[in-house]
This record gives sequence, structure tokens and C-alpha cells, in this order.
Amino acid sequence: MNFRLLAMLVAIVVLLSGHATSADQSQRIDPETGAVSWETHAQGVTLLLSQIPPDPVRAFYLNRGFPSEAAELYATACVFMTVLRNDAAPGELSSRLADWSVHNAGRLQSPQSVEAWMARWQALGLSEAARIAFRWAQFPPEQEYSLGEWNQGMLTTGLPPDSHFDLIARWSVAGKTYEGRLENVVCAR
Amino acid sequence: MSFVRAKAGITCSLAALLLTCWVVSPCRAVDIPPLTHGLTPIVEPRPAPTLRLTDMDGRVHDLADHKGKLVVVNFWATWCPPCRREMPSLERLRQRLESQGVVILAVDVGEDIDTIFAFTGQLEPSPNFPILLDRDSGAMQGWKVKGLPSTFVVAPDGALAFRAVGGREFDHPQLIDEFLKLSTKAEK
Repeated sequence: MNFRLLAMLVAIVVLLSGHATSADQSQRIDPETGAVSWETHAQGVTLLLSQIPPDPVRAFYLNRGFPSEAAELYATACVFMTVLRNDAAPGELSSRLADWSVHNAGRLQSPQSVEAWMARWQALGLSEAARIAFRWAQFPPEQEYSLGEWNQGMLTTGLPPDSHFDLIARWSVAGKTYEGRLENVVCAR
Repeated sequence: MSFVRAKAGITCSLAALLLTCWVVSPCRAVDIPPLTHGLTPIVEPRPAPTLRLTDMDGRVHDLADHKGKLVVVNFWATWCPPCRREMPSLERLRQRLESQGVVILAVDVGEDIDTIFAFTGQLEPSPNFPILLDRDSGAMQGWKVKGLPSTFVVAPDGALAFRAVGGREFDHPQLIDEFLKLSTKAEK
């Protein structure tokens, strides 16, 4: 077996294994729910994505006054509970969701924006209480995090169930851009 | 028949509760991000925005009425996982420092009294500070809150002294020290 063939085989095995992750990335499965979480630590920042399957998302928004078609729309949009925390960044970091990117099957896109969802809910005539609950349950579109500060909120990619993607989160500290990457993340089914 | 229906009803309710809990705290068995215990100083202190809201008993609370005291303003909601986790520590903080002039105002965004009460009733210790109702999220916008929970510490002179984005263990000794220092500084 020549070296080139061996290298190709190794690459294929890594790609098919579902665990092609960077050195700082860890993955855990909640034994109770089966939800998978991916976490990385980069440049003093923790980034965590945790699957939320459609059923609990649907239940959450139905309980907050969403009509079923609106709850369905969001629940099937590949939802993750997302955490970003400044553990030891070199200063206060500034994060904008619009600067993050989702890489899936050779395509590059931003996570779905909170503003776009809010416009949909307005067009569908959702109640103010339902829209307020939605807005503040999302991961903040923009935020500044000093040492020890963090947020937790929902984020959608809009990809179909079972889709695999890489997420690159970007933030800046004193004008310098940093990034954290989670590889081979999978949308819940 | 009625027993079967009742059993189905209980099963559905339990399922709904479990599903809601999953969303509210999806990573509880994985890696719950720890509550931290630092405050971010506001480098150029400015007067706190106005805050005038009713509490769950219909009483009006105005931040301006607390001038001369250190006020902790906490923006939260029952469906926000870190907000739920930090709430008992706010009550323990009140128990520790109320006698020294520290006031806590928790501002709930967009929820009704029944929902809030169903949550606070389960807490130990149960909050004994005012929970104000920001029904249209106008106060949150006025305070430029970008995510929940967000907490601000208003110095006795009415200036914003600290902020805290994300969940905190409010009765951590480090935070108690900060609150006491700010209170004492104002008295001198």
C-alpha cells in the first residue's frame, strides 16, 4: 500500500467517524435526554452548543403562546442552547452573532438572526408576550463580556435534522478578532 | 374509563413538564456553566436609568425612592436557566445585607404573576424582595440589557457602579465584600 493511498484511507475514516474534532473540543451525551453537547475553549473563551430536539422546543414555545405553526417553524430549524463565556480572554470581548458562520456541505452562512425571526413573528401576528419571551430566550445578537461574564440562549442554524456542520464563533478584544470553532456538530432529529 | 383518562392526563402533564425542563435546562446533566462571582466595574459611572414598575402585589416601586442605599437591580425571567439558578442566592444576599441598607429589585420580563409565583414558590429560600413586572420589556430596553440575566449595582448616590452579565452566586464572599465596600464608601 503506497503512502498516498494510506493517507486517503485515514482521511476517509476520520471523516466518517463523526468525531473529527479539534484538540480542544469535547463532546458529551446527556444520559437522561440523549442530547449531545459540543464544547471548546479558545483564547480564554468557552463556547458550548447543546442540541435541543424539536419536541421540547415545540413544547416550550406552545407554553408561551406560540400558535402551532410558528412553534413548528422554529422547532425544526436546528436549535441549540448556546453558551459563550469569558473565562480568561485578554480583555472585554465583543461578540456579534452576524460575524459567526455555519459551514455545511461546502456552504457558508450565518446563524439565523433574531431580527429575522422577530419579523416573521410580527408578520404572523404573534402576541407581544410571545414575542418578548422569544426575543429574550435567544442567544444575544450582540453582547460585551468582561472577565467572568457569559450568556446562555437559543440559536438556530436553519439546517434540516441530522445535518452536520462546523460553527465558527468570532469575537473581538481591543480591535483584534479571535475565533472558536466547533467541528462536526449535528442538528437534533 | 375516567381512571384511564386521568392517568393519560397525568402522563401528558409529566411529559410536558419534562420537555419544558429540557429546554429550560438542556445541559443540566452535561456541563452546567458555573455561576460566577465577579462584578464588572462601570468605568465611567453615570446615573442609573429610571426604573418605576409595579410589583406582584400591585405596589409601585421607584428606584429614585432608594437614593442613599445600594440597590441591586436584577433582570430575569423564569424560563432563563441561569436566572433560575441565581435567584436563591439573591435572597440569601438580602438576608445578609438588608440590615446594612442593601436593596434588591428583581425585574421579570414579560411574564404573568401566576407563572412567576409558580416558580418562586418552589425556591428555597423563597424570594422576599420585590419582583417587579416589566410586561413590555420597556425597562430592559431603557437599561440597555442585551441578554438575561443582567444585573446592575446602583451606588447610594444613584450612579451605576457595577454590572454582571450572566448568572452569579450573589452571596459569594467576594461579592458580599464588593457590596459592603461600596456601601461603606458612601457612608464616609
